[in-house]
Amino acid sequence: MTDKTVEIKISGKTIQARAGETLVHALWAAGMAESVKTGCAGGVCGACTVTLRYSDGRTGGTELACMKPVEAGMEVFPCPVEADVSVAPVAEPELSHLQLAFPTLNRCTKCGSCTTACPMSIPVMDSVLRMQKGEFQAVAEDFTTCIHCGLCRFVCEDKVKPHNMGLWIRRSLGMSQDIAIEKTDANAEQEWQYLLDKDRAQRLQRARQFRQSGRIEP
Amino acid sequence: MMEWAKESLRNLESSRPARLNQPAPLPDSNEADALLKQYHPDYLGHERQVTVGLNAGGQKFPLELAQLLEGDSPIEPDYSPSSEIETDVLIIGGGGAGAAAALTLEGSGLTVHLATKLRLGDSNTVMAEGGIQSALGPDDSPRRHFADALVGGHGDNDPDLLRILCEQGPESIRWLSQLGCLFDQNEDGKFRLRGGGGTSVPRVLACRDYTGLEIMRVLKDAVRLTRTQILEEHVAMELVDDGKGRVTGAILFNRSAGRPVCVSARAVILATGGSGQIRLQGFPTSNHVGATGDGLVLAYRQGCRLIDLDSYQYHPSGACYPEALAGQLVTEAIRSIGAQVVNAEGVHFIDEMAYRDVLAGAIIKEIAEGRGVKTPHGKSGVWLDTPMIDLKKGAGTLAGQFPGLIHRFERYDIDPAKTPILIYPTLHYQNGGIRVDSECRTDVAGLWAAGEVTGGLHGKNRLMGNSLLDITVFGRRSAQSVLDNIPERGAVTLTNLQQFRVDRKKIEDKTISPKFFPEASGMKLNAAKGEEKQEKKTTSADFEPPNPFNF
Repeated sequence: MTDKTVEIKISGKTIQARAGETLVHALWAAGMAESVKTGCAGGVCGACTVTLRYSDGRTGGTELACMKPVEAGMEVFPCPVEADVSVAPVAEPELSHLQLAFPTLNRCTKCGSCTTACPMSIPVMDSVLRMQKGEFQAVAEDFTTCIHCGLCRFVCEDKVKPHNMGLWIRRSLGMSQDIAIEKTDANAEQEWQYLLDKDRAQRLQRARQFRQSGRIEP
Repeated sequence: MMEWAKESLRNLESSRPARLNQPAPLPDSNEADALLKQYHPDYLGHERQVTVGLNAGGQKFPLELAQLLEGDSPIEPDYSPSSEIETDVLIIGGGGAGAAAALTLEGSGLTVHLATKLRLGDSNTVMAEGGIQSALGPDDSPRRHFADALVGGHGDNDPDLLRILCEQGPESIRWLSQLGCLFDQNEDGKFRLRGGGGTSVPRVLACRDYTGLEIMRVLKDAVRLTRTQILEEHVAMELVDDGKGRVTGAILFNRSAGRPVCVSARAVILATGGSGQIRLQGFPTSNHVGATGDGLVLAYRQGCRLIDLDSYQYHPSGACYPEALAGQLVTEAIRSIGAQVVNAEGVHFIDEMAYRDVLAGAIIKEIAEGRGVKTPHGKSGVWLDTPMIDLKKGAGTLAGQFPGLIHRFERYDIDPAKTPILIYPTLHYQNGGIRVDSECRTDVAGLWAAGEVTGGLHGKNRLMGNSLLDITVFGRRSAQSVLDNIPERGAVTLTNLQQFRVDRKKIEDKTISPKFFPEASGMKLNAAKGEEKQEKKTTSADFEPPNPFNF
């Protein structure tokens, strides 16, 4: 083994990996791609959840295999999390709606596992406490970067579903927005006729002109 | 930190005060053409005509794609399709376009199945970062949006499709918001609009640098609340037809059961996305694991015409270091709010908001002429001067608006607010694809297509923020067209495939296509078979159970 190679274990099987590569690429190279689910391999789909421990006793935990570089002595265990049933959001959400939609909300014992498990560094437990107080705007902000890997729900002893609640709150707030999209388009038809010239070169020329001011220049 | 780049970092820092408020030249159209022809991967002759199918002897394709289009089907010659699932509409693809189609079909009374070879939402949509265009600004209009996109696409965009895209922009934002998408707002409560490469006014809405994630997680949640039957880990192997040329369903490979299943459908919507994972010319890619161009191959065998597939988008800012992030997207929005592109000598060599294809060509040129920065892994890139953003817009701007960028780099002890990042073009988007009409109908009856798998809309170069709009507008539109024109159920046969097989007898190549998964992954259609193979490879099996108390 050179300093460019590290030895890791996946579900107990030892494989050689190239230093600097991610777990997903190490598994691909070892012919073991199927041992961990993958979706985007870019840290945003949440498919490749794993748990880790280290032979030297360092603290392991949960990770996304596509984002985690291999390290010597790493032991990897696949940890796929199934999607949970969705709950329909409601416009103008109130705390009582959330409690009804997610009856386990108040079971949280503040152990903090969810925060530890989150691969996106979301302050999950603090956010659950904010949910209990109905501070929905703050919760929506907390869950802006949530990839719904499900690990916070997976590790919860008390069946609290932080990410599902986070999405429910975000969607509920989103639905409540008043998006008035009105445009006065008196010149629309004339402008389309000008831009949709049948001749390709003429069309391109007109588009070049039009984008300068947003108008047909005389 | 990055000792190997010390000298060029010093150049970059020493030129920064002079560069700070000094724009770099935007190439004029002759210079842009020269950059493209000499350096852009599309123009280097790495392409050929195909000899089989409808496009034979016509427009060229990248070599890797041409081989797949001429390939043979994985369907065994003696396989005889007989319908096991009957549905009205089969949607193939679990990204944004497929999900938007499913939502539009809800409540119509038609039965809908959505098949995806990965999981619902695992797609290029979820990886889109920078935003979605919509003409909502004060000096803007769908016409201006059209003009920008047409010039960006070098005039090759299908004008009818493009008009629909731009006209539907505002309504699409309203639809997404009603579903619960939260786009970033200014303090006055209006949507924050940013510029993008080739936009003449600010037009790009975003949710930080997770815009695709925001849209996809909302669409996914909404689809799960419909009656759509979701078939995850079902890989589309082939389309079936009625023997008279009309598509009537598909053969899917159920990965968990390890066998094919035949679906009879009155209408099929192909929303299979792009093909970055075929890694043209060995380029890195920003695409998801499933982006292997399967839909192109399947549609081609049915007799669909493909257009503009000689054109791919190489996104100028793919990460180049650290190696583990190679190819991953660094959103254009970072350039649009002030990060400059700088070579190893500290020179701001081009305006970073030049069109994507031109900027990609310019970066490749810098490296070819020796002004790139070489990493310890032997790759080269140029700097994206991210610390400029906080200098220009105030401390904390980068972290506040681009949490995704910070999050990805911080585990490598790189803080993009303090250290510039190294970039190199990454294979990002399939500009061309299946030809469709303005109702998303392909050349073959019974088959509709929407999203990245289609061609024509974006011409030869797509602008930032037009693909998330594309999947929303045309995902919905394809479903509406299916609703208005749904055919009766037909027989399921492999007549079109058999004809294609006769045609391809003239070539000797034994390639089986589509590819389904990236070559490097070694993944096979049949997951169970794949595992048997790796059992043999692994010798040591000193397995001990995990200690649940030692996280």
